[in-house]
Amino acid sequence: MSLLTDVKNMSNAQKLRTFPGNRIVWHAVIVGVVWLLLLLLNNNIDPLYSSYLALVAMYATAMFGMTILVGLSGQVSLGNGALMAVGGYVFALTSMNWQTVPIFGWEWNAVWSMVFAGLGGILIGGIVGGLAARLKGPYLAGLTLGLAVGVPAITNRFPELLGGENGLMLTVPYPAGGYAASEIAAGTESGAETSDPNSDAGSDTGAAAGEDQYAELDLSEFDQGVDASSDPNATLATEDLLTEGDLLTLDDFSNGGDLGLESADPAVEPSVDPSVDAGLDPGLNPSGITDSFDTGFIIERWQASMAIAVARLVAFAALNLIRGRQGRVWKAVRDDPIAAAVVGISPSGSKVSAFVVSSLFAALAGAVFAQILSFVGPGAFGLGLSLSLLVGIVLGGRSSLLGAILGALIIVWLPELVNGLSGERGWPDQITNNAPNLLYGLLVVAVVLAAPGGITGTVRSWIDRSRGKSRSPLS
Amino acid sequence: MTNFIDFLLGGFSSGAVIALMALALVMVWRSTRMVNFAQVGQAMFTTYIALTVQQSTGNWLLALAVAMVAGLILGIVVFFLVIRPVKNSDTTGAIIATFGVLIALQAGAGMIWGGDPEGFIPPVSNAGLEFAGRIWPVSLYDILVWVVTAALVIGLTLLFTKTSLGLSMRASAFNPEVARLSGVRVNRMLITGWAIAGATGAVGGVLIAPVSTISPNSFDILLVFAFTAAVIGGLDSLIGAVTFGIGTGLVISLVSGYTDASNAPVVALALLALNLLLKPDGVFSHHGSRSV
Repeated sequence: MSLLTDVKNMSNAQKLRTFPGNRIVWHAVIVGVVWLLLLLLNNNIDPLYSSYLALVAMYATAMFGMTILVGLSGQVSLGNGALMAVGGYVFALTSMNWQTVPIFGWEWNAVWSMVFAGLGGILIGGIVGGLAARLKGPYLAGLTLGLAVGVPAITNRFPELLGGENGLMLTVPYPAGGYAASEIAAGTESGAETSDPNSDAGSDTGAAAGEDQYAELDLSEFDQGVDASSDPNATLATEDLLTEGDLLTLDDFSNGGDLGLESADPAVEPSVDPSVDAGLDPGLNPSGITDSFDTGFIIERWQASMAIAVARLVAFAALNLIRGRQGRVWKAVRDDPIAAAVVGISPSGSKVSAFVVSSLFAALAGAVFAQILSFVGPGAFGLGLSLSLLVGIVLGGRSSLLGAILGALIIVWLPELVNGLSGERGWPDQITNNAPNLLYGLLVVAVVLAAPGGITGTVRSWIDRSRGKSRSPLS
Repeated sequence: MTNFIDFLLGGFSSGAVIALMALALVMVWRSTRMVNFAQVGQAMFTTYIALTVQQSTGNWLLALAVAMVAGLILGIVVFFLVIRPVKNSDTTGAIIATFGVLIALQAGAGMIWGGDPEGFIPPVSNAGLEFAGRIWPVSLYDILVWVVTAALVIGLTLLFTKTSLGLSMRASAFNPEVARLSGVRVNRMLITGWAIAGATGAVGGVLIAPVSTISPNSFDILLVFAFTAAVIGGLDSLIGAVTFGIGTGLVISLVSGYTDASNAPVVALALLALNLLLKPDGVFSHHGSRSV
C-alpha cells in the first residue's frame, strides 16, 4: 500500500514538474519585452547612440555563445573571433555572388545569407569542436589561439576570392529606399532640403556629395561634419566617424601599430556605391521592423534594429538551452566529467554541442558585424576580437547571459570613455590608443583573482549571502 | 635541391628561437602545470627594454644581459601577482589570467614605446655568408643565434641534471608532495621555474628581434609556433621542446620558401591539430595514466 502511494506521489510529483512549454513561453515573454524596450530606446535616441547599441547587440550575440562555451561548458576558447570571421565572410560571399538560393532557386535575400553564415559556423564549429572535445584546458586554448591567428591568415591565401589583406566590401541589404533615403532624411532633418523624398535628383546629388566627403575622409573633418547642422550629409558623416572609430578600436586592440596602416583601408571601404544600395530589393530587411520609420531612414537605427533582432533570437535560444536540460548537462560535465559519464552523459558530446552552439552564435554575430561595417577583412576579425570577447565575458560574468550583455556594454563603452577622457585631458595618441587594453588586461586579472564570477556572479553571491545562502560564484 | 637546402638552413635560427620560447613554456608547465600565454608578451616587453639599452649604449651583450635579468624579474613578478593568487581549482581562470597579463603587457609596451614596428640592429652582419662560390642563407648573426641558443640549452641541461637545484626542481615537478616531505622548498622551486622561463623567453626575444621587427604584437605568431612545438614535444619534456622547436622552425621555413609566408600560421595550426588528434600527450611524453 505504502509502495503504491509512493508511486502515486512520485507520478504526481512528476506531473507537478513544470511543463517545458511554460518555460519557453516565459522566456519568449522576457525576450520579447526586452526587445520592444530596446526598439523603443533605439527609435528615440541620437543615431550616434544607436550605432553603439548595434555594436553592443552584436558583441552580446557572440558573447552569448561564450557564456555557453566558457561559462557553462568550461572550455576557454579564443577561436570565436575566427568563427565570427567565418560568419562574416560567408555572409559577404553569398550576398555578393548568389542571386538565388542554390538548388531551390528561391530569390536571394539577406535572411538567406544569415542562414548560410550560421550553417558555416555550425560546420566549422563542429570540426573544431570535434578536435576540442579531445582536449582540455590549456591545449584547447592553444589550439583555438592558433585558429584565431590562422583563420585571418587564410584570407591572404585566396586574394581573389576573399580579398586578401584589404578584405571585401559588401553591399549591405538596406531596406527599400535604403541609402538614398538616408541622404534625404539627413537633408530634411537638418532643414536644408525640403524636396520630395522620392525625387531621384535629390538623392543623386546627395549621393555625389556623400562620395566627395568619403574621399576626404579625415577625423578632424568629421567633427565639423557633425557639428554643422546645415550640412545635408550630417547623418552620413556621423556614421562614418563611427565606422572608422570602431575599426580603430578593434585594430588597436588586435594589432597595435602593426595594422595601423591597414586600418585606413577599412575606413575608406564603407564608401559603398550608394546607387547600388538604393536599387536593392525591398524584401531584404532581415529584421522586418524598420518599415515603421521608412519615412526617415537612418542607417544607425537600421543597424541597431537589425543587430538587436538577431541578438533577440540568439538570446531566446540561449535562454532555453541554458535553463533547460542541456544547460545542466554542460555544467555537469564542466564540474566533473567522470561523474557525468557515470550517470550516462557523454562528456565529449556535451563539449562538442557547446562548441557548435557557440560557433553558430559567433557566426551570426559575424554576419551582423559585416553588415554594420559593410566590410569584412582580416584586421577586423583578428586575435584582438577573440580576446575582447573573452575579456567581456570574464568581466561581465562568465556563466550568465546578463553577464554577456554587461560584458558587451563594457567592451563598447570603455574605449569611448577613454577617448572622451583623453579629449578632455589632451593625452597623446600613444596613451589613448593603449589605455583601454591596459585596463582590460588589468581588470581581467583582478576579476579572476578577486571576483571570478564577474559582475553578475559577484552581485548574485552578495544577494545570496544576504539571504544566508552560499553558492559558488561560477555556478 | 639547392632551394631545399637553403630553406632548411634558413629555418635553423627561427627554429632556435621557437625552441627557446617552447622551453620557457615547458619550464612553466613543469613548475606550475599551466601554460603561460603571457610568455611571449613578457619576452616582447624585455626585448623592448633591451632595445632601449642598445640604443643608448650600443652594447648588444649588455642589452642581452639586461633583458635576461628583466625577464627573470618579470617572471617572478607575474608569478607572485597573478599565478600564485589564482585558486587551484579554477583552471579556466588561470588560463584567462595569463591572457589578461598578455593584453596588459602589450598595451603597456604600446604606451611606453609606441605601436610602430622598430628595427633592432644586429651586433654582427645579417648578410648571407659567401662560401665555396655562392652565397648561403646563413649569416654571421644566424651563427651567433645558434651559439647562444646552444649555450643556453647546454647550460639548462647541466642545471637540471648536475646540480642539486636542478634535482630539487625536477623533484618538485615530478611529485610536489614527496618533494616537500624530503625537505625541498617546493614553492621556491616554482618561483625559480618561472624566473628561468622568463629569462629564457627574454633571450629568445632579443635573438629574433633583429631578424624581424619588434612591435607590441609582433610576437603573437611566435606564441602559436612555440605552443605547437611545446605541445608536440609533450609539454613536459625539455628535450622535446628543443627538438620540435627547431623542427617547427624548419617546417615553417620550408612552407614559407616553397609557398608563401602567410601559410605558416595555417601549417602550424594543422600540425597542432594533427598532433592533438594522433598523440595528444605529445611525442616525448611518458606517462600514460589519467587523473580522476
